Amino acid sequence: MMKLNRLVAVAVLALSLSSVAVHAADNPADLNDLQLAHVAYTADNIDIRYAHLALAISKNPAVREFANTMIRDHEAVNEQALALLKKLKVQPQDNFLSKFLLKRADKLVDEMSKLRGKKFDQRYAANELAYHKEVNGLMRKSFIPNIENGEVKALFKAGLKIFEVHEGHAAMMVKKLK
Amino acid sequence: MTGWIVRRHVRQTALRLVAMVLAWIMSSAQLSAAEHIVEIEKFKFVPEQLTVRLGDTIKWINRDIAPHTATARDRTWDTKRLKKGEAMSVVVSEGMQMDYFCLYHPHMKAKLVLDTSR
Repeated sequence: MMKLNRLVAVAVLALSLSSVAVHAADNPADLNDLQLAHVAYTADNIDIRYAHLALAISKNPAVREFANTMIRDHEAVNEQALALLKKLKVQPQDNFLSKFLLKRADKLVDEMSKLRGKKFDQRYAANELAYHKEVNGLMRKSFIPNIENGEVKALFKAGLKIFEVHEGHAAMMVKKLK
Repeated sequence: MTGWIVRRHVRQTALRLVAMVLAWIMSSAQLSAAEHIVEIEKFKFVPEQLTVRLGDTIKWINRDIAPHTATARDRTWDTKRLKKGEAMSVVVSEGMQMDYFCLYHPHMKAKLVLDTSR
C-alpha cells in the first residue's frame, strides 16, 4: 500500500511535469525515507532559488516581500532538516525525482529570467502557487503517510503547515496581480 | 534621661514602621507588574488577545520552525526576528500601540487590551 501510494504520487507529479521525461529505468516505488528527505530538501532549495530570482528582477514590494518570506521560511526548514539528519547520523540520498525537479527548475528559471515588470511578477506568482500546491499535495497524500521515522514525520508535518500558509499567500498574490 | 530614651525608642519604632510600609509598597508594585507569555505556534499568536497593565512584561516565544516577529501595527515596537525557540520581551508602556502582527506573515494578527481598572 505504501509503495502504491508513492507510485501514484510520483505518477501524478510526472504527469504534471510534461516537459521533462522520466527515465524508464527509474522506479519511483523504491524511494525510501532518505530519498524523500532529499526530495523535500531539493524542493525547498528550488523555491529559495526562485525567490532570489524574484528579488533580482521584481520591483513590486508585495512580490519582494513574498520572496523574502520564502527565503527566510525555507531556509529555516532546511536548517531544522539538516540538524535532524545530523542527529540521526544519516545523509539524504539523491534520487531521480530530485534530479527531475532540479531539471525543471533550471528550465523555469531560464524562462522567468527573460521576463520583466508585471509579466515577471505574474509568472512568478503563478509558479509559486502551482509549485506549493503540487509539493503540498505530495507531502500530504504520499510523503507524510509513508515516512517511518517519527521525528522525520513530525518535521514534514511542521513543514507542510508552513507551505500551506505559503500556498494561501501565493493565491492572494496571484489574485492581486491580475 | 528616661524621656530621652522613650523619645529615641518612639523615633526608632516610627522609622521601622516607615521602612516596613515602604517595603510593602515596593513589593506590591513588583507583584502587580506581571509577566505574560505569548506563544507563537502554527502561525498563530496564543493567546490572540491578551489583557495587560502598564508596566507588565510580555514575552513572545516562537515555537514554529518559520521565523516570526511580533510587531506593532504602527511599527513603534518590535521583537525583531525570532527563530524557533527564541524569545523577546516588551514592557507595556503608556500610549503603546496595542494591535500587532507578524512582519513576515502579515495575516498573523493579535491584540493587547489595556486593563485600567486599578
